[in-house]
Amino acid sequence: MSNTLLNPQLSILLEIQDMRAQLRELSSGEDGSAPMEEEHFNIDLDEARLHLQEKIDEMVAELSPQIRARYNRIAPNRDRVVVPVIHGVCYGCFVSIPTATAGDQGVHQVVRTCENCGSFIYVKP
Amino acid sequence: MTLRELFTSQSVELSLKAETKDEVLKELIELLGLDSKSEGILFKTLKRRENLGSTGIGKGIAIPHCRSLVVNELRLAYGRKPEGLDFQAIDDAPVHNFFLIVAPPLEVSNQYLPVLGKIAQFAKDPDIPDVLAGLESPEDFLKLLEDRAP
Repeated sequence: MSNTLLNPQLSILLEIQDMRAQLRELSSGEDGSAPMEEEHFNIDLDEARLHLQEKIDEMVAELSPQIRARYNRIAPNRDRVVVPVIHGVCYGCFVSIPTATAGDQGVHQVVRTCENCGSFIYVKP
Repeated sequence: MTLRELFTSQSVELSLKAETKDEVLKELIELLGLDSKSEGILFKTLKRRENLGSTGIGKGIAIPHCRSLVVNELRLAYGRKPEGLDFQAIDDAPVHNFFLIVAPPLEVSNQYLPVLGKIAQFAKDPDIPDVLAGLESPEDFLKLLEDRAP
């Protein structure tokens, strides 16, 4: 399992994204996973949410100032700050990403954003 | 969609080699056939979920699960460790059976939670651990799902 070709800042953003998804799940009501996590896995929801938020804050602090500034602009208003690009389409706004960006071999070595919606993008292999 | 439809024989391993919690997570992730970058990200996300509390639900069964951007659709894998290993399960007993569930952050079909519930229910059936211990091939596992988890 090597992450050598993944930009470290992009790696942090992806981790933050996944933790935000987890936090959202644990914060959701009757239709979410929170009751299931309590029932089957004995999770202390308050403690888990606090732990996740602390981890997210720690990781946001590890972002470079420029990327952190963009993250802080996007994060309060969107569920997803990093969106996948699948078959050349940004799944944040469903607009095609220029081929030069979507098909670039080194696409995971730099942090990129969608020119249309401004989300950070993660091009799916 | 039935549980059987979410597994393939390639996503089933009846003789896990892992000796530690981290190793078993990695071995389960490998069953999904992702690229190495995605495997690394998924491992971190699963580890973070385990840090919130073990997904070992007792009676030798664990259900590591998370949502992650690295998958496009709901993905499942099953691994068995006949000798069992310490997974910090809620009953402190060794875990022999591992069901991995990974879903994308947003799903149109919204299958993640129902599937998580179905697996938990299936695994809690009192005779399931013994039946799982007797499986001889991945096809046996798929047949078991067909018969017992409609």
